[in-house]
Amino acid sequence: MTELWLIPALPLAGFLLLLIGPSLGRRASSLIGAGSVGASFLVCLFTAWSFAGKPITQTLWHWFTVSNLSVDVALRVDQLSLVMILVVTGVGFLIHLYSLGYMAGDDAFSRFLAYMDLFVAFMLTLVLGDTLLTLFVGWEGVGLCSYLLIGFWYRDPSNGRAARKAFLVTRVGDTAFTIALFILATKFHTLNIEAILTACQAWPVGSALAVTVAGLLLGGALGKSAQLPLQVWLPDAMAGPTPVSALIHAATMVTAGAYLIARMFPLFQLAPDVLQLVAAIGASTLVLAGLSACVQRDIKRVLAYSTISQIGYMFLALGVGAPSAAMFHLVTHAFFKALLFLGAGAVIHALGNQQDLFKMGGLRKALPATFWTFLIGSAALVALPPTGGFASKDLILELTWASAPGARWLWAMGVFGAFLTAYYTARMFALAFFGPPHSHVHHKPGPVMIVPLILLAAGSLLTAALDWPGPLGGAPFFSHFLAPLFPVSDAHEVSASLASILQASSLASALAGIVTATLAFRRFSPSVSPDRPSPLVRFLLSGCGFDSLYNLLFIRPFLFLTRLNRNDILDSFYTALAWVAGLFHRGLSRSQTGQVRWYAFALALGAVILLAVMVLL
Amino acid sequence: MTALDLQALLPLVLTTATAIAVMIAVTITRRHGLAAWLCAAGLAAAIASIASARECAPRHISDLLVIDSFARFYSGLILAGSLVVAVLSYGYLKLRTDRHEEYYILLPLAAVGSLVIVCSANLLAFLLGLELLSICLFALIAYRRTGRGDLEAAVKYLILAGASSAFAVFGAALIYADRGSLAFGPPGLALSSPVALAGIAALLVGVGFKLALVPFHFWTPDVYQGAPAPIAGFIATVSKGAVFALALRYLSTENLLADGRIIWLLTAIAAASMLAGNLLALRQDNVKRMLAYSSIAHVGYLLIALLASASLGRPAAAIYLTAYFLASLGAFGVVGALSQPTRDADALADYRGLAWRRPFLAFTLTAMLLSLAGLPLTAGFVGKLSLVFSGVSSALWLLLSALVLGSVISIFYYLRLLAALFATPPASEPAISSPNTPWPTTAALLFLTVALLAIGLWPAPLLDLIQKMAVAAW
Repeated sequence: MTELWLIPALPLAGFLLLLIGPSLGRRASSLIGAGSVGASFLVCLFTAWSFAGKPITQTLWHWFTVSNLSVDVALRVDQLSLVMILVVTGVGFLIHLYSLGYMAGDDAFSRFLAYMDLFVAFMLTLVLGDTLLTLFVGWEGVGLCSYLLIGFWYRDPSNGRAARKAFLVTRVGDTAFTIALFILATKFHTLNIEAILTACQAWPVGSALAVTVAGLLLGGALGKSAQLPLQVWLPDAMAGPTPVSALIHAATMVTAGAYLIARMFPLFQLAPDVLQLVAAIGASTLVLAGLSACVQRDIKRVLAYSTISQIGYMFLALGVGAPSAAMFHLVTHAFFKALLFLGAGAVIHALGNQQDLFKMGGLRKALPATFWTFLIGSAALVALPPTGGFASKDLILELTWASAPGARWLWAMGVFGAFLTAYYTARMFALAFFGPPHSHVHHKPGPVMIVPLILLAAGSLLTAALDWPGPLGGAPFFSHFLAPLFPVSDAHEVSASLASILQASSLASALAGIVTATLAFRRFSPSVSPDRPSPLVRFLLSGCGFDSLYNLLFIRPFLFLTRLNRNDILDSFYTALAWVAGLFHRGLSRSQTGQVRWYAFALALGAVILLAVMVLL
Repeated sequence: MTALDLQALLPLVLTTATAIAVMIAVTITRRHGLAAWLCAAGLAAAIASIASARECAPRHISDLLVIDSFARFYSGLILAGSLVVAVLSYGYLKLRTDRHEEYYILLPLAAVGSLVIVCSANLLAFLLGLELLSICLFALIAYRRTGRGDLEAAVKYLILAGASSAFAVFGAALIYADRGSLAFGPPGLALSSPVALAGIAALLVGVGFKLALVPFHFWTPDVYQGAPAPIAGFIATVSKGAVFALALRYLSTENLLADGRIIWLLTAIAAASMLAGNLLALRQDNVKRMLAYSSIAHVGYLLIALLASASLGRPAAAIYLTAYFLASLGAFGVVGALSQPTRDADALADYRGLAWRRPFLAFTLTAMLLSLAGLPLTAGFVGKLSLVFSGVSSALWLLLSALVLGSVISIFYYLRLLAALFATPPASEPAISSPNTPWPTTAALLFLTVALLAIGLWPAPLLDLIQKMAVAAW
């Protein structure tokens, strides 16, 4: 299969067609919007079917040559990108399908689908890019689409603010990423990923250059994947339509950071300190975000913090040297988190844009299909067997325990995270589907929304088979598939008995979380909740106060400086320039009298000057 | 005169034949469409005859003309510009005078004059071409005869062009007196002789007038304002391009840049043109006058290429002129397309909210203005970049500072018009209800826009062509 270019080109073509706008009509827009992603998914399936284990590279065209740096636009499919394109187009197609129902009443229906198609095209460029620069084009492109879609309902200024926040915060990470690109380009005279990974092996382990580059790449990954300390944008990004949250801010784009680290993993291995930092950041993020998720009232914010927390698990896995486990969690997470977001969207839709958990309740009977699929998604998020979430989270915790004796505290944090996950999931579930109903169900989701939910629920269960734990009778297909890229080391082998103990402990903490939440919220009624939450809850509600901290550290001083410089000294130069220009304009305009005699005089005068200069000087 | 000579002369011959063919057609039947199509087809055939000729060796035809690749490149540019003007004129004239047909005789004749200027190897040929061009332009400027403005413009042009031509003829006579020949060097002029120097100064007056350089620029806004929009475009592009190509050739064949005084004079004129042109345009509310002032500045920029080293200056001049041709013709084309039968759409108010009423025209004009301002992704950027590049390599710092300053100023008035285009339309009826754009005009504007953006995005083919043609040694 050498038609790799078709994979991103199909959604791009869909985007270009949809640019025609509302005049297309809803039916044609739907067909183009979802159909292009579906077609791309088929091409991906075909690519996977014909994939023989050897990476395929397709050079599309030569981009540019600057002195000794030559960059091609090239796509490459290997085990890692194959997994990614299947997730992006497969889950993406289901979400597209769902949004046909979800967005049906929106005036800007075709604009929405256009942005979504553009996003998919860029995301595929990101994961297929053979050079870091191609990857970077996709990286920035998905950032742009994220911005456009968070602020999709642009009439509400707060949505625009959320979009800008997301764009600006990720920009901090992107700056680090760009600097890493510059360093790599100057050192190796190439941005081809394979060539860089080969060439960098000449660096000694722990060399300053390796640490610098890996650290800068990590910076980019932190911004994109909303990890500490750049996680603040993701909860606000929930201002976008729910399918956007499912596709961009849960299943695909936010995991791009994890993908980047996995893609450049040999480079990170040369910087063990950075890898430890990755693990520490992952562990801290998963706990902090989990804590915040426990108190949120907005169902989408619960899921947003949960996403941050789950990506924390991926970073933890990357940090302890288990990229295939991280990728496995990325895949399972894509399914169950997309499912949960879409389920939440169905609830929100049914209740007429009600996102407050305290005003839901009792939806078990009113929305049975949503209830059952949401149940499966929640089970996967909590990591109960036999879901994919169980298999992947279990693998991560097991490998964390086994990675190094010093990593036990990371494991403990992971287990505590499992408790938190179970707690907030059960809380959300109980508040939404049990107890007395607090809102009226306006309309039930149609089949176009239910079918994707069912398929995603099936995916959440079936992904478990990819890497089911050995002691429970499974086989590590997924790790073996990725083995050419990430060799499975013997150090990670855990004895069956220890594995069982680890599984039991994480399961126990999850069950403890479920029980605690059920006891607390079984008979919950909003009147019980205090009107003014306690300081601790308020602290957690605000995402552990990072927004206020950044406000204090960066925004206030910056605004202070701008205020100081309001009458900019540089500005006065330009003002003066404009003033002088205006003066000369008026003066010169007076010379345009419109009288031929004056024009002729000027001509003669000019001639005299020319002659004088030429002859007399 | 051999067959090869004839082949080399084919563009000139075909353009002249076009004028004659239209003349004959008009005597038989007065039909606007027929005359316009004959004119356009003739010009297109002339362009094709340039493109088809493979031979690049310079060919002297008598003492008067030389056809080399340089001449062929600029001939192509001139003919393409004339063709666009002819197509734009069709839509423009249809709404106006009842006597359209003679226009299409004068237009190819003006093109012939320009071609002769570009191909001239002799001051006599240059003067002949100049006069042919000027005389056709008098009539074309006044062609509508609807208002006071166009006759006034034609008379102004007549008087001032006559005066400047007198200087040019006088200069040629002085050079003849000194050298005994009107042919261009080599060997170059004896720059020590005061007679020859005076001759050059007088020639410079004639050239400076046609190029509208300071201090010979005063006529420009009045004439542009009075002339029909397509003709204003013709004067801004074809007439200036031809004279500029001649100046480029004359300066280097006569090796005039060996003289410090000439460099000094040209530098002063260039800097003054850049600044004066842009400053005059600054708060100009009349779009045609604004474009006139900006054209003064653009020729000022072009002089950088004249003063820079030949290896970089000549391609830079060709690129910049091409970009300038596209953008100016497009801008005047939009002005023409918006114009009413009674008056041209030249007030800034006519353009308020145009993007909401006529999105295509507004988009075209946006592209043209951005190119004139030299912003990236347009041909104007490529042109300005190579111009600056040539200036830097020859260390023309004074001129480059003037260029930067002028460009900064120019952004203001280009954006001012752009802002008007996208402003919310006035609640009341628009100042003018512009007629529908005829399809030839749309096609021409579309061609200009696509070419403009294509060169801006992917300049390599044009640069290759120019490297091959416009740089050839003579």
